[in-house]
Amino acid sequence: MKKTILYFTILIFLLQLNTIFADESKESNNRLWSQGTAHLLPKGRMEVGFFQPLRYGWSDKLEFSTQPLVNILMPNMSVKWSHKSVAGFFISTRHSFYYPTPLLRVISREGIGGMISPEFNIPHMISLYNEILFSKQIAKNLLFNGKAGFAFALKSGDLDSRSTIDLPLIFPRLAVFYNGYGFRFGADMEGKLFKRWLYLVDADVFYAPGQNENFAFENKGLILWTKSDRFQLTIGYKLSYAEYPFGTQWHLLLPIFDFQWAWQLK
Amino acid sequence: MSYLKTKCFGLLIISFLLIFVTCDPLVTQFEDLEDSIMYTSKNIKAPPITVDTVTVMTWNIRFGAGRVPWFGDSCGDRVMLTENEVLSSLEGIAVLLNQVKPDILLLQEIDVESKRTRYVDQVQWLLNHSHFNYATYASVWKAQWIPSDGLGRMNMGNAILSRWPIEEAVRIQLPLRGDQDELTKYFYLRRNILKAKILLPGLDNFYTVNVHTSAFSMDDTKQKQINIFTAELDNITADGGLFVAGGDLNTLPSGASFTNYCPGELCPDEKPEDQEGCDYSLETTWLNQLYSTYTPAIALDKYLSDEEKYFTHTPDWTGFWDRKLDYLFTNHKWILNSASTHQETTALSDHAPVSVKWEVPK
Repeated sequence: MKKTILYFTILIFLLQLNTIFADESKESNNRLWSQGTAHLLPKGRMEVGFFQPLRYGWSDKLEFSTQPLVNILMPNMSVKWSHKSVAGFFISTRHSFYYPTPLLRVISREGIGGMISPEFNIPHMISLYNEILFSKQIAKNLLFNGKAGFAFALKSGDLDSRSTIDLPLIFPRLAVFYNGYGFRFGADMEGKLFKRWLYLVDADVFYAPGQNENFAFENKGLILWTKSDRFQLTIGYKLSYAEYPFGTQWHLLLPIFDFQWAWQLK
Repeated sequence: MSYLKTKCFGLLIISFLLIFVTCDPLVTQFEDLEDSIMYTSKNIKAPPITVDTVTVMTWNIRFGAGRVPWFGDSCGDRVMLTENEVLSSLEGIAVLLNQVKPDILLLQEIDVESKRTRYVDQVQWLLNHSHFNYATYASVWKAQWIPSDGLGRMNMGNAILSRWPIEEAVRIQLPLRGDQDELTKYFYLRRNILKAKILLPGLDNFYTVNVHTSAFSMDDTKQKQINIFTAELDNITADGGLFVAGGDLNTLPSGASFTNYCPGELCPDEKPEDQEGCDYSLETTWLNQLYSTYTPAIALDKYLSDEEKYFTHTPDWTGFWDRKLDYLFTNHKWILNSASTHQETTALSDHAPVSVKWEVPK
């Protein structure tokens, strides 16, 4: 199954290549509603959603973001840095850190809500995730985005391998703390359906070499309705296939939705 | 570009369709009657072709936790076992099985895919490490995620292991606890009866019936479960079938001299009003019908003459057996004085196994 998914992802990517390299774009590197792309928010623009991060266009070259809902329990910060275009691709790098220890300690508890057994010690841990993002407008209404990233974790002590949370989305994202490092690759296509309606299809692969359970694949499909430059509504699904300590399993999260708002601060 | 757009949108639609055929429930709920899951040993050992007696054993193996102070049943603080702990416990269980050599084994609290026991499939492991060839399994507690105490994924249930093939086996749902709120009930255990027709040489109507009734209900749930178990045995008898049946009934024999264990089982930080399943005072007649209708492996008068000798359980992970909860019954005959309560197994579970020889009718 893992190979099938990899082949499928590579095939989709290759099918796009001829189109991707076909034309050069003269667009600006700034773009609204540009989470997941190599584009940055225009300077002074702020976007936030229930589940999407709070993002702020600091300059034409820098964008900061954080997940506000979990920031108290999991301090996190990302900076996206725009680079020179190459072969018609907008290129950015994103550098993120996460400190999940307080959150994991909160959910390591007795009784209802305990997601990790309280018998385990959760050390201080941070992960640093660095990725390159590349985007290209391959047609008037079609944007291709790709990304490749490497994460590594630093810990103040041992983390017991029995403390994993064997759930979709969570398990592959916490794998870096058990394995020490991991990779992530992804691609997505975003296009216009009609008027203010957009769609987005993406695929992400997580790979943590050295672990027994080292592979995960996620696919997301979204319909986006952009009311204006200041509000966007998204609804869709997320499909996950991953290796867990008990074996492999598909999972579905349906529906997923978000409301996003934006402001121009200066 | 419209081709690309169509393709991407098509992928979206295909993904949606894919979703609906791959979606699993968070907690597995069961029909009233379902086929149970069949297992086969990776090494089939030739079973006896002719038999005069069949040795039957029942054992609640406490999911291979041995006497680890587990949080849920012994005032402990452990939730997740190590793989070494699980395998060490299973090896101890296999040693006893290879000594006693039961032909049919009724197991309760056996894990097949639980995070707490490192996802070891204990049914398959025991099949592969014993003289048994076939097994059938019915989940009591199956969930992708139990949101409490870090339990996580859970699949625990009842199993029947046999040297002979199992022709058909069903899982019969028992009533859920009536004293829990709906949310707790949703994530809680779903007790069942596991009934299997075993192809014993020369018999075409021989059944094994395994049950594990509610341990902590404070209402009449357990009584209802025992009554349904009894009725199921009545049905087999009415159809002319033979059975060996039993399991962990979580009830004391009628006439037991001590019925309220609560004062000695209060965990630190626990309030007396929160204690469950330790006072059997109102349940002393619940096994009367079973005892009066069918033949117990250990007769009631024999038990009452020397209770301690037949105790099979203690929740105290440092203590010795202090009550009898585990039983075997038949509608045929046990070999006289062949029953044993294997009290030497204190390190292997919080229950002692009970074994007895069943006379094969000529």
